[in-house]
Order: sequence, then structure tokens, then C-alpha cells
Amino acid sequence: MILKKLAIEILNIATETGADFAEIYLEEDSHATISVDNGKVETIHDVLSYGAGIRLFNGLQSVYGYTNDLTSKGLKKLARDLAVSFSETRKIEVKTIKKVRQKKKNQPKIPYESYPREKIVEMLKEASKVMKNYDESVVRTTANFAYSNKKVEIYNTDGRHLTDYRSRGIASLLAVAAKEGKIETFRTAKGAQKGMEYFIKETDLNLEAKQVAASAVTMLSAKDCPSGKMPVVIGNGFGGVIFHEACGHSLEATSVSKGLSVFSGKKGERIASSIVSAVDDGTIEGAWGSGNIDDEGNKTRRNLLIKDGILNSYLIDDFNSRRMNEKSNGASRRQSYRFEPTSRMSNTFILPGKSTPEEIIASTRYGIYAKNMGGGSVTPATGEFNFAVNEAYLIKDGKIIHPVRGATLIGSGKEVLLHVDMVGNDLRREQGTCGSKSGYIPADVGQPTIRISEITVGGTGGKVKNG
Amino acid sequence: MVKYSKFFKRAKEENFEALELIVKKTDRFSFSFFNNEIDSYKMSNSFVISARGIYNGKMGTAESEKLDKNTVDYLINRIKENALLLDSEDKTFIFEGSKSYKKKNVFNKKLAIATAEEKVKAIKKLDRAVRSSSELIKDVSTQYNEETQDYTILNSYGLKLRSKTNYAHVYTSATAVDQKNETKAAFIHRFISDIADLDEKRYAQEIAEKTIAQFGSAPCASGRYRCVFSPEATGSLLAAWLSNISAEQVQKKSSLLADKLQQKVCSNKITVTEEPLRKNPFFRYFDDEGVAAYNKVLIKKGILKTYVYNLKTAYKDKVESTGNGYKISGKLSTELVNVSIKPGRLSQQQLIKKARKGIYIEKISGTHAGLNPQSGNFSLIASGYMIEEGQKGQPVALITVAGNVFDIFNDVLAVGRDVELQIDGYEVPSILIKEIAVSGK
Repeated sequence: MILKKLAIEILNIATETGADFAEIYLEEDSHATISVDNGKVETIHDVLSYGAGIRLFNGLQSVYGYTNDLTSKGLKKLARDLAVSFSETRKIEVKTIKKVRQKKKNQPKIPYESYPREKIVEMLKEASKVMKNYDESVVRTTANFAYSNKKVEIYNTDGRHLTDYRSRGIASLLAVAAKEGKIETFRTAKGAQKGMEYFIKETDLNLEAKQVAASAVTMLSAKDCPSGKMPVVIGNGFGGVIFHEACGHSLEATSVSKGLSVFSGKKGERIASSIVSAVDDGTIEGAWGSGNIDDEGNKTRRNLLIKDGILNSYLIDDFNSRRMNEKSNGASRRQSYRFEPTSRMSNTFILPGKSTPEEIIASTRYGIYAKNMGGGSVTPATGEFNFAVNEAYLIKDGKIIHPVRGATLIGSGKEVLLHVDMVGNDLRREQGTCGSKSGYIPADVGQPTIRISEITVGGTGGKVKNG
Repeated sequence: MVKYSKFFKRAKEENFEALELIVKKTDRFSFSFFNNEIDSYKMSNSFVISARGIYNGKMGTAESEKLDKNTVDYLINRIKENALLLDSEDKTFIFEGSKSYKKKNVFNKKLAIATAEEKVKAIKKLDRAVRSSSELIKDVSTQYNEETQDYTILNSYGLKLRSKTNYAHVYTSATAVDQKNETKAAFIHRFISDIADLDEKRYAQEIAEKTIAQFGSAPCASGRYRCVFSPEATGSLLAAWLSNISAEQVQKKSSLLADKLQQKVCSNKITVTEEPLRKNPFFRYFDDEGVAAYNKVLIKKGILKTYVYNLKTAYKDKVESTGNGYKISGKLSTELVNVSIKPGRLSQQQLIKKARKGIYIEKISGTHAGLNPQSGNFSLIASGYMIEEGQKGQPVALITVAGNVFDIFNDVLAVGRDVELQIDGYEVPSILIKEIAVSGK
């Protein structure tokens, strides 16, 4: 997007006052959303997002700025404005910059812009029809499609120049079922860092539509969830949000480096039961959270976070690696040029174990089967978390009895993994959007079916009597 | 710079019925301290032009952050292509203008004049005050965020409205560690119009108390408790509940407030107003469709007085837009600006006294996931204090409160007078409610 010669000039302006590192991140992203509401195409919205961020480090200080003015004048002004925050003499100077070439993975086979939008609309309408026709209690459906084609260019004072092209698409479905004054809403999303081929050949949106409608309808007849401490079986796929929220965020260098995480200084220690191993893997071809390079231009990696219950690795970006005296590991991400990058997850999941999901349910005398998790949140300083369960069932004597509504799982991140006493063999990943310091980014969560021997369940159905 | 008249000229040539442009220029300045050292410093200027046009009877939309010789073509072509694919039968509007607008000057000159250096100095002092407020305070992080926005809406009917606003916001989070190595965290924030207004002593004391008071907290016994919600907690619940007041939700059968106009929807202790014209950082005198914004009562003593409308949903119900048409990531929706609950007579202390025995909920988290705004059901992680003999007692944490927001606002026994401006612009007091289901030990 800009020439090497100009990049060198900008980097040298930025480092004039003593910064020991500088980076220019440029981005052009054309994205579009198509929304079908109750079977009708309601909005189609195109956005051309365009801008650059300049980042300076001086020891443990970072300075960041961005602009949409990508002219030589605009970028130089930004570099100069940012440099004002330091008042030392020049430490480094860039003379040459080399293009770093890497194998381009995750490239679309059928690019979104070459595929007729009428056909995307058709696909969404079909899925809407499947949801609507599932049951007469389905009162509202939405089917949305969004894609993004992002060109990225990075220059830094290490003399590196990198480019990347990232194309992602995601379809999301929502069904609202209502009956006798009760309303239940259910949603799901399917996406990949691939082109339209993912939606044409690799995923069955109509099947997803049927399941979403079925879950919403099922929950209409749910009874209030009992509350108290009890065993909880968490279903595979989006159930991994529990790991993502309760542990993943606390393994990010953003909070670890400052000693603000419950897992700060715990490397090599047991933080989970010995049947738990977990990874963050940004290298999976075509996966929603994957990347060729991260947003600092480092190669993405498969980081083994927990090995047999022992904390093995954090997720580290270049800036926090300075505070931690530990190398970064390709985990620096950002929503867009408007955000300073920092350590984030990519595709994060618990590795499969030996039990079948049926065995796990069958060996549970009394508890909750949390089939579909909603979102949640966590306070990194204390590790306290909460998760909503969108679809839950009561388990009694090893059998699923009936659906229950309003369940929430609460606990603390440093304890929950220690209580995992069964891990299934049915690993599945699902697509989510993770919001944190550097904005909203695409991320996969995942896990096999797992059982937590004891966790606090919040619900409206009164305290467990026979638990 | 591209002239905006070019857009209107092209739209006319392409036989658009109407075209609207919203141009936003935003400058941001922010920095943060971690343990009294600057650890982040950011500045930015950005620009976005959002366009909507009626073509073939349908509304196409597109936006661009790039402004060059291709922008006119890009936006006009995308609008046209998108409009042709739409099949919503809803009538769409580009607005000719309201009769009058209550424009006010809300631009804070003092904030604009103060230098970055002065701001950094003031916040450093504030951050230091928090750090030294107690020996138990361990880590402190203070953020300063300032935003200046120049917003213009213009359309092919000749409507042109402009608003220039700025504000600054300070946010501090602190952790404290006690002898037993227990860690507690809390945060505090303020909107400021002048850095000279910062009362660091009071600010530091408030957050220190908030953090330290949590030591020894534990889950309480599960059960149903009489409950006082803090202003922050009340605000979160109210925001979720009021999402049902949007006419779009009502028309799409996603709201339990459907068919409830002029009927009792909550306790008669509750009066809710929306005051976009109030002078604060959220002030608006026109919405994203160019309709004049005005102050109004949404719920009067428990009676639902109005739904909130944009032009499209108002047309469907044959009423006037209430000036609540706002865009959320390109899609026109409705939003509420400056919502408040009319304060009662009691202080928070008096509310707690009135509760006698029960629980004070200071904080609830995770409403985005644990609360279904449509059904009103929620189950949320919470913390606060037991209420014993009419006073705040043992701190409580790691509990969930569960219930239904419709029931909560029906069960209000008293409304406090301790109104606080929340981060999202809600200005609400504490409330005392009949009971809440708590899940603890």
C-alpha cells in the first residue's frame, strides 16, 4: 500500500526521539454483510475500511496512533506526533528493509466478490425457511452472512516488510420461538478463513438451521434449572468457551506480564487435572482463527498451553515479551488498524481424551448436561467467571431427563480445570468472536465433551435436594 | 478533498430517489498509567463517510474510510447494487427535516485547550493518589480517554445538520492483596469536562474502599433474599429491559412489551425518562436520520407511555418518529440516549435500612451472555454485601442472582436518590426489590 522508501522515512521519523522500535501496519478491508430477517433481505451493507497504525516502543513504553490519511504527508505527521512523547536521542536507524516471503496458506478458492450475491441471498433464504418451517412456535428468524477481504502490510525497524491477504466468511442463524408468553432465542454461526467453497461444499447450513430451530423450540418447554454445586457435563464444540474465558484469557501475556493474571508465574505448575491438555493453534489450514502471520508479522504457531494438566506456555506478543523476558510466539492480534495489537487467542481448544460422550453421561448420577453454552466473561485478576448455558438438560441416574432453562455456571478459572474428571473423544471446534483489549477478532473455541466434578450452577429452580 | 455535491449529482444521474451522507471525523487521545508509569499512549484521527440511497424504492447502504477520486463511484455503485437485491416491503425514508432543532453548544473548550502534557500530569497525580490510598493496594491502572467528534448529516432534500462534541473519561482499576494473599479488584470511572475538576482525594478513597471492603468475601447461602441493587446493577438490568421498548422489536414480535401501551408494565414507583438534550457527553439534538431529538417520558409511574421509533417503524404504526433512529454497524435501528430513572427520596443507606435483612448487589457481570433481553430471564454472577439489621455486613462474592427483569421492575419497593451516571449514559439510582433468587454455597 505504501512504497518501501516512504516506509523507511516514516520509521526514521518515528524513532528520532529515542524509540527503540517502530512499526507501520497498513490495512485495506472490504467487507460486506447481508441480513435476511424473517425471510426477507433487509439490509446489504458494504464497508471499505482503510487506514494505518504506527507503533513505537521505548523500553516498556508503547505509543500508538492511527489515521485514514495514508498520504506521505498524513503518515509522516502521525509519526512526528507520536515521536513527541519521547525526548531522548536517536537509538536506531533503518537503512534497508527486506521483504519477508512466506507460504500463503488460508487463501480462498472461490473469492467472495466473484460469487453472485443473489446466490448468497438464496442460501440465507433457504436456511430461514428451514428454521421457520421447523415448528409453528418459531416466530422470527434471521440469517446473516458477512465476509471480509483484508489486505495487510507491515514494515518495521527490524528491517522486515510483510504482506498478507486474509479472506473470511461467516453465516449466522438465529431462531426465536414463542409460546404461551415464553420466548426463547437461539443462534449459531459457521465460518472459516476460506472462500465461498466452505459454504458450498463443506458445511450444511440447512442442517444448522434445523438444529437452531430445534434447540429454541426444545427450550420453550424447559423447566427452571436447579441451583447449587453439582457435576456438570459440558458438550463439545462451543462448550470450549469455558476454557476460552476461564483460562485462555488468563494465559494472555497482556495480563500475565504485569502479574495481573491468576496464572502469572505459574509455568510448570499444575493448573488442571492430569487428563487435560490444551492448545492454541493458529496454523490450522482455513480455520476461522488461523493466520499466516500474526499482526506483528510473526509466524503463527501451535502453542501447547497445558500439557497433562501442567501450564506449559503463555500467549505472548512482542511488546509484552519485553516485560516477561520470554520470546513471543505468534499470538499478537488486532481487530483492525484502529487497535494496537496484543496477545490474543486464535483457535483454542482442549485436546481429546478417551471417554465417549455416552459414557460420560451414563456415569453421572445427578447433574446438568450443558449441551450448548452461551457466552461468558471473566475478571483476569481474580479468575472469576460466569457462563450462560443456552441449552441444558437435567441428568439423573445416568440419563438425560428434561431440558432446563436459565442455567449459569460460575466459578474461578484457577479451580475449574482441576475439577475436570472426564474428557471425551469427540473434539469439535466452533466459531466465535472474541472481544478484548485489541478489539473483536475471529477465534475458534472448542473441546470434546468434558465433565466437571463440581461447579456452582446458578438457576431459578431452587436448591438441589437430591444432589 | 472530494466535494459532497459530487455525490448528489451522481445519485441524480443514476435516478436515485434520494441520497443521504453522514460524515464523521473523530479525533481520539488516550493514555494509561500502570503503577504510575505511562504504559500506553495513543492518538488518532479518522474519517468515515456513510451513504444511504433510495433506488428502485429500496434503501441501499455503503460506507468508506477512503476518500479519493473513486469514492463517489464506489459508494453510488454499491448502494445501487445492494438496493436491487433487497426485498423487504418496508417503506424506507430519507428525511426532509424536522420543523425545529434544539441545538446546544456542548463543546468543552477547556478540554480542547488543555495540553497533552497537562492532562498526563493530572492523571499521574490521580493515579498516584489511588496507589497511596492504602497499603493493601497493589496494582493500579488508570486510563484517560478523550474523544472529539465532528458529525455532519446532509441529504438530497437540502437537510444539513452538524454537531461537534468532545468529552473525556477517566477509568481506574485497582487490585488489593491482604495478609492471606487474597486478591480483590474494583474499578471506578468519571466523565470530565475539565481536568481541573478532578478531586483525586475523593476518587482514591472511593476506589480503595470499594476494593478493600471485599476482603473476606465468600458465597452466601442459596435462597431468596430481599435485595438492594446498586445504581450500576440497576442500570444494567434497566438497559436490558428497555431493549423491549423498541418499536422494531415489538413489530417483529420479539418484545414482551407488545400490546402494553398505556398499561402497567412495572411498579408505580418507576418513572423512566429519555433526555437526549441533557448536556452531557451523550447529548444529541438529532438522530442518525436527521430527526430532531427531544426529551420524553417512557414509563410514567409504571405505565408504558411510548415505544421508541425511527422513521420506518413509525410509518408502520402510523405515528411520528420519536427521534431514536440510530445506526448500529450500518444498520438502522433504535437507541436510547440519556436514560434515567426518576430518583426517589431515600439515600442508599436508607434503602438498606428499609430492607433490614437481605442482600445488597453491587455488581453483576456478563449481562451480554447471562441475560436474555427478550424473555427477561437472567442468571448472572454477582457480588455485594449481606444486609443485616439494616446495614451492610459480610461481603459476598461468587454467587449468582437469577430471575426475570420484568419481575424485578414489578417488584420495586423503593427507589433511591443516589443517582450515578453510568458508562453507558444511564443515570440511575439504587432500587430496593422484594426478593431475588441467589445461588451460593
